[in-house]
Amino acid sequence: MQAIVPAPPVLRAAGLTMSYPGGTTALAGLTVDVPPGSVGLVGANGAGKTTLFRLMLGLMQPSGGWLEVTGRPVASDPVGIRSRLGYMPEHDCLPLDQTAADVVATFGELAGLPTRAARQRSSDVLDLVGLDEARFRPIGGFSTGMRQRTKLAQALVADPRLVLLDEPTAGLDPVGREEMLELVGRLAGFGISVILATHLLDDVQRVCEHVVMIDRGRLVLAGPIDQLMQTTGLMRVEVGGRDGAAAALVEGLASRSITAALVDEHNVDVDTSDQGDVAFDLVRDAVADLGLRLYALSTRHRSLDDLFLREVQV
Amino acid sequence: MTAVLPPSLGAVYDRGYRPYEGPRGSRREAGLALWRLTLRRALGLRRSWRQKVFPWSLLAIATVPAIVNVGVGYVAKDSPVDFRDFSFITYREYVGVSTALLLFVALTAPDVVCPDRSQRVLPLLFSRPLTGVDYVVAKVGAIATVVFGFAFLPQVVLFVGQMLVSDRALDYFTDNAEVLWQVPAAVAVLAMYYAAIGVALASLTDRRIVGGVAILGLALVTSAIAAILIEAAGEEGTPLAVVNVLALPLDVRDLIFLGHLSDDSGLSGVGGGGVLAVTAYLMVLVGALALLFHRYREVDL
Repeated sequence: MQAIVPAPPVLRAAGLTMSYPGGTTALAGLTVDVPPGSVGLVGANGAGKTTLFRLMLGLMQPSGGWLEVTGRPVASDPVGIRSRLGYMPEHDCLPLDQTAADVVATFGELAGLPTRAARQRSSDVLDLVGLDEARFRPIGGFSTGMRQRTKLAQALVADPRLVLLDEPTAGLDPVGREEMLELVGRLAGFGISVILATHLLDDVQRVCEHVVMIDRGRLVLAGPIDQLMQTTGLMRVEVGGRDGAAAALVEGLASRSITAALVDEHNVDVDTSDQGDVAFDLVRDAVADLGLRLYALSTRHRSLDDLFLREVQV
Repeated sequence: MTAVLPPSLGAVYDRGYRPYEGPRGSRREAGLALWRLTLRRALGLRRSWRQKVFPWSLLAIATVPAIVNVGVGYVAKDSPVDFRDFSFITYREYVGVSTALLLFVALTAPDVVCPDRSQRVLPLLFSRPLTGVDYVVAKVGAIATVVFGFAFLPQVVLFVGQMLVSDRALDYFTDNAEVLWQVPAAVAVLAMYYAAIGVALASLTDRRIVGGVAILGLALVTSAIAAILIEAAGEEGTPLAVVNVLALPLDVRDLIFLGHLSDDSGLSGVGGGGVLAVTAYLMVLVGALALLFHRYREVDL
């Protein structure tokens, strides 16, 4: 029986540092392994997402550290590595006087595909992103949603192993956003890994299996989203029944040697990392002893926003 | 593939995504593709008819002197008057039909580089296996190729036509064999120079019109300054005539065809004028390329 070898990370960074002339440090010793599949790269503006993309594309040299993309060290072949990467920038970047078919075929050729293959692939991927009818129209006449789809098509035309998407839903209306997320969500099924850089955590939660959170160039948190949401070691307890119910519960838990933090008037975060499932009983007893009403009790975070905010505050 | 309707009713297929498993080039192929695409744009191919009018009209206009020359030779072939030495235009002079070529460069060079910057296409281009050097080589190479073609093809028409209308084609060929290297060499000198200067100036701005005006302006202003300096220097000439950037490739052309500067050159009376002309030519060419490599050494995403 052959042993199953786990797929290598699509991104492996060790102590990755990038300081710009003038003293700005965009990445400060980032160490992370990103597995294949759909991965959300999350961070506020200035967190270092675009710098990480630039380094992955070999467009600049890091000040320090190690970087591997799709199993190849970027430093050894910074140009060649781009032939199997797709990139979709956030901003407008398409020649407006050309048709979508020409533009996408052009970027196929520039990725090294023969002319005929590039034109065929252009037709296929434009079909895939829903622009089959419009592909012979100049991009200047396209809506924002159609331009975003064209940008995605050019990123896919050369059949990349990994595609870097920078805020793909930016500027889209709700329908366009849904359609774009649906497309992005399908890519992993085609064998194309995705790194989705965004500050919209809802988007990541919708389409990604993993998340990498960075803040001011440092890794905040990384891992499978499901696992992170379940193993936070926190229980959110919502109580009521009288004024100051949440504060009373914090005090009551403290007397039982359980650490808890007040979230707001009705919510308390309880640290369950020591007690495990017993914490449920302890919290229930504390609520009952204090004569409070228990409205909700959950070990999961409600969203990635909670997780991100908590980790950044820590 | 999944058929969603029975074949008897006609089938609609969800083709899904098909991976690409064919040949895949690297940096060299990417650079060649950019050169080819730029060439296509410069010639107006796969663009509206309006974009095609200018380049192809220019080629037609550039070929007119050759056709007239050959036509006169043909008509006068049986004339009692000896027209054997008639020459409407010489091969050397034909290389100097530079005003039309300069106009072409002024319109085309900004068109192939300015939109890449103004429409922020550069980040996409550099996300492919291309470097700034590849970009510059492809852009300058494409413009130089078109200029070379537009300057060289009429010369081919002239040579072949003259040969065919002469009494002894083989004699004409052997008598003029030296132009077979002189013409391509001189045309290459001109094409490289115009392309490098044109693309370099165009790279400094996002706006095509500004780039075009800058190219024509440089030629006109330096010509005017050189004319004033030459006039002031009198018959002895002045080395300051090198400021005429438009004249430098023509001086090099004269060195290729004649072995010395022609009397028309602003440097003709200057000692070591030929060396000065070649040096200035190379300095402008290298300077333009250095500017371009600097401009495209790095790109922001």
